[in-house]
Amino acid sequence: MSRDAIVAQNLTYQYGSLLAVDHITFSVAEGEILGFLGPNGAGKTTTVKMLTGQLKPKSGHAVLLGLDIVRNTKKVQGKIGVCFEDSNLYEQMSAVENLQLFARLFGVRSFNPYPLLRRVGLTGREKDRVETYSKGMKQRLMVARALVNRPRILFLDEPTEGLDPTSAKSIRNLILKVRERGATILLTTHDMMEADELSDRVAFIDHGKIVALDTPHNLKQQYGRRALKVTTSNPSGELEDHEVVMDTPQTPNAIHELFSKEDVVTVHSEEATLGDIFIKLTGRGLIGPKPATGRPAKRRSGR
Amino acid sequence: MSVRIVTALVAKDLSLFFRNKFFGLITILGIVAYIVIYFVMPSSVNETLQIGLYAEVVPPAFQQVAEEGIVFETFESEDALIEAVTEGQYAAGVALPPDILDLLASGEKPQITIYSAADTPEEVTDAVEIIIRELAYLQAGQPLAVDISVEVLGPDMLGQQIPIRDRMRPLLAVFLVMFEMIGLASLITEEVQQGTGRALLVTPMRVRDLFAAKGVVGVGLAFVPAALFMAIVGGLSSQPLIILTALLLGSVLVTGFAFLIASLSRDMMSALGWGMIIVIIFIIPAFGILFPSTVSAWAKVIPSYYLADTVHQASAFSAGWGDVWLNLLILVGFDVAVIWAGIIALRRKFR
Repeated sequence: MSRDAIVAQNLTYQYGSLLAVDHITFSVAEGEILGFLGPNGAGKTTTVKMLTGQLKPKSGHAVLLGLDIVRNTKKVQGKIGVCFEDSNLYEQMSAVENLQLFARLFGVRSFNPYPLLRRVGLTGREKDRVETYSKGMKQRLMVARALVNRPRILFLDEPTEGLDPTSAKSIRNLILKVRERGATILLTTHDMMEADELSDRVAFIDHGKIVALDTPHNLKQQYGRRALKVTTSNPSGELEDHEVVMDTPQTPNAIHELFSKEDVVTVHSEEATLGDIFIKLTGRGLIGPKPATGRPAKRRSGR
Repeated sequence: MSVRIVTALVAKDLSLFFRNKFFGLITILGIVAYIVIYFVMPSSVNETLQIGLYAEVVPPAFQQVAEEGIVFETFESEDALIEAVTEGQYAAGVALPPDILDLLASGEKPQITIYSAADTPEEVTDAVEIIIRELAYLQAGQPLAVDISVEVLGPDMLGQQIPIRDRMRPLLAVFLVMFEMIGLASLITEEVQQGTGRALLVTPMRVRDLFAAKGVVGVGLAFVPAALFMAIVGGLSSQPLIILTALLLGSVLVTGFAFLIASLSRDMMSALGWGMIIVIIFIIPAFGILFPSTVSAWAKVIPSYYLADTVHQASAFSAGWGDVWLNLLILVGFDVAVIWAGIIALRRKFR
């Protein structure tokens, strides 16, 4: 059984009178990808800041790679990589110079930035100033920077936010490759598809508390609802939609009835998305601080 | 503190500083421009007072005074004299009546006219009047019934007055030191504004490494151009160790002020604004050296006074450690206080 790379016990943080993180407890095993999901202001970033030593918890403690983050901040920071949501690169320096600077700070001996830049698709632009890069290129360089020290734990805060599909895909592939070599990844995201695709487990965080933590499959099993979307054609040629809820005693009869009496045109299976489950658990969506009134902005249409 | 990390940060900061066209250019142009200004300024002081004279008969006493630093240039007519004075060729002009010798011999008062241009300082006109009275007494054979002796307070600079360009040396050196304060403050402000400081803080780098690196960069950027300037313009020919020590302490001082400015600034423009205010205040004592008696004693509350005064005393009068130790001690006191306050104020931005 693998050891835990991250153990958070009753982590709490308060900004003045606002309780941003409220006694949260969770652990992440070595080599695991944990998706950290929640709307803006839910406490995701504050939790990550405490785990990476940027903020000192008001109470509780966190142990990373067997070291208490408060007592061994710099030791832990030498073994982790952090990719921030907003670009914070040295814009007047090139990609190579940015990576070389951080390699020196981490004490990486004989660092060669070129293979890493190739992995993030920046070959050919390595020596250009970062200020000339597109948003996607900057984001890829941010990920590369977080990998300079071959971190054992990688914190990624919205790594694909605002990127075009190609850039987002290349970053997702990179994350999976990093996991392949055994790194633990804590991925903060709004993107349900991304979390579903990449995460071994996901944690839903709302109002500073973890409201659910499990594998995407188990969460869907536990909180979701499977259904069949059936489109039929009536005698006058008009299309009608039907929904058959799965996993109930009436399901076989309902399906049989549809297929025997109606002219079935298409059949799609529909599964609850993580976004649906989040709304079910919290009563609000993942985008924006206010409770969602409609459907979640990013959801799957079915499989 | 990690030497490896501090070295990496210093290299990064210097690289960013010189990639900023504004600061890079200003630093290099500043040194070049100040050196040019220094060498363009007169290298000696003309201590002779030139006075225009119109007289049909020049009294012998007026012919003898040239040895005493006063030169009378004679004119053919009173009109020519008036024209020369009006054009500013002479500090003043003196017109003697044709019968001056007879009048002086008979004990009567001759009417002597002194011409001065509109912009001639009152002190010069008064001095010329006193000279004429003295000469009249000499000519009349009735010297003043007093003996006058001159006591020079401080080094006697008679015949070796400090040229204006050498008076400017401390001003220019202090200006070079001061200007880099704005550069460092902008560099730090940019680090906070772009969030790169946050990225640094999640590496093994400690906040004290960051401050050490910024300190080295700040002191280096202030000290090297000023020391280079002083070396090129010959300012280190006298008491070089004292001058370099003063410049080093001054560089530490401006680094502390750069920390304070950065803690107050949100972007490069606000760093420039705050920086200019402090530079203007800090330049005042140096102007007091360039134009003596224009700056009152209150200038001593400005920390840069002790830098400018020490550099001036050491370079112009070869003042030794015994003469400037108090200045240097006060400068050290200011350094400790300002660096401490700067670090306390700036730490908030790196949390």
